[in-house]
Amino acid sequence: MLDVTGLTCPMTWVRTKLELERLAPGEALEVRCAEGEALENVPRSAADAGHDVQVNGTIVRIVRR
Amino acid sequence: MSERRAFLRTLIGGGLFPHSTADRDDDAGAGGLSPAAVERYSRQLVLPEWSEAAQRALGGASVLVVGAGALGSPVAAYLAGAGVGRLGIVDDGAVELSNLHRQHLHFTPDVGVPKAHSAVAKLGFLNPEIVVEPYQAAFNDTMVEGQDLVVDCSDAFDTRYAVNAACCAAGVPLVEGGVVGTSGLVMAIRPGATACYRCAFPQAPPPGAVPTCAQAGVLGPAAGVIGSLQALEALKLLAGLDGALTDAFLQVDLATHDFLRVVVRRRADCPDCASA
Repeated sequence: MLDVTGLTCPMTWVRTKLELERLAPGEALEVRCAEGEALENVPRSAADAGHDVQVNGTIVRIVRR
Repeated sequence: MSERRAFLRTLIGGGLFPHSTADRDDDAGAGGLSPAAVERYSRQLVLPEWSEAAQRALGGASVLVVGAGALGSPVAAYLAGAGVGRLGIVDDGAVELSNLHRQHLHFTPDVGVPKAHSAVAKLGFLNPEIVVEPYQAAFNDTMVEGQDLVVDCSDAFDTRYAVNAACCAAGVPLVEGGVVGTSGLVMAIRPGATACYRCAFPQAPPPGAVPTCAQAGVLGPAAGVIGSLQALEALKLLAGLDGALTDAFLQVDLATHDFLRVVVRRRADCPDCASA
């Protein structure tokens, strides 16, 4: 679980992106986001990058493409 | 220490400049990205085409910038800011008052200071996490050996051809550039794989046919545009990004805003790169 609740945009996505780069395709990353900007932007950026994204509450689950 | 590094070390001189980090030989680019590095480079790491791998490629790279003037200022500043691990700054001149309108690494109190040292001092402030070395000397073929990339920011045709020939002989990628008035030219070269500067321009213009920027003048922002394009091409080559300006040169006319990409082919009889 990656916790980016203490970060602001764009560092929330930078941290998430760097973690995703370490995964193999098909592996999943869960990211805890603060409500508001991060919870809007992290899933959108992940989807824009072509990953599969699910949001449950403040947890964003991203499966690397 | 390699012969090349020993030679370069002789050019650096005494310890007058605390931002010369020449004694830090092997710590650039090692390991993962520190939290400070992630923050420093965050606005490029966030780009879809950039990555930690690209950032580490930059951190592990050694780049020679030939000339610390109008083109060298933006090139060196952007490459230092982007995190190129080792920069060598070649210039045998000293800062003059007439340089300052276009050479933005130098400031009025620097007049009289060797340009290589003036530039390195500023680059050290910009990014103390990298190694930047001043080479207060004219360009020498030996400087190219062991580099991952050379950016030619010189303002004379004989130097430009010498840099092209040395890079072709050593197989070191090169970004060429030139500016005069409000127009300029940029070209990226992978020796042995793509057309070199001499493939594009087999003959130097006769002496006096083309004015230097000292004779013809140059507007500072025009040099900034061309130098920025060179820096961008350098980053593409270093990070392996798509779209490098190879097998072509870009001719830029900033008076008319014409950007013309001219396709160039390798010449089988090119004296510089045919055997590269």
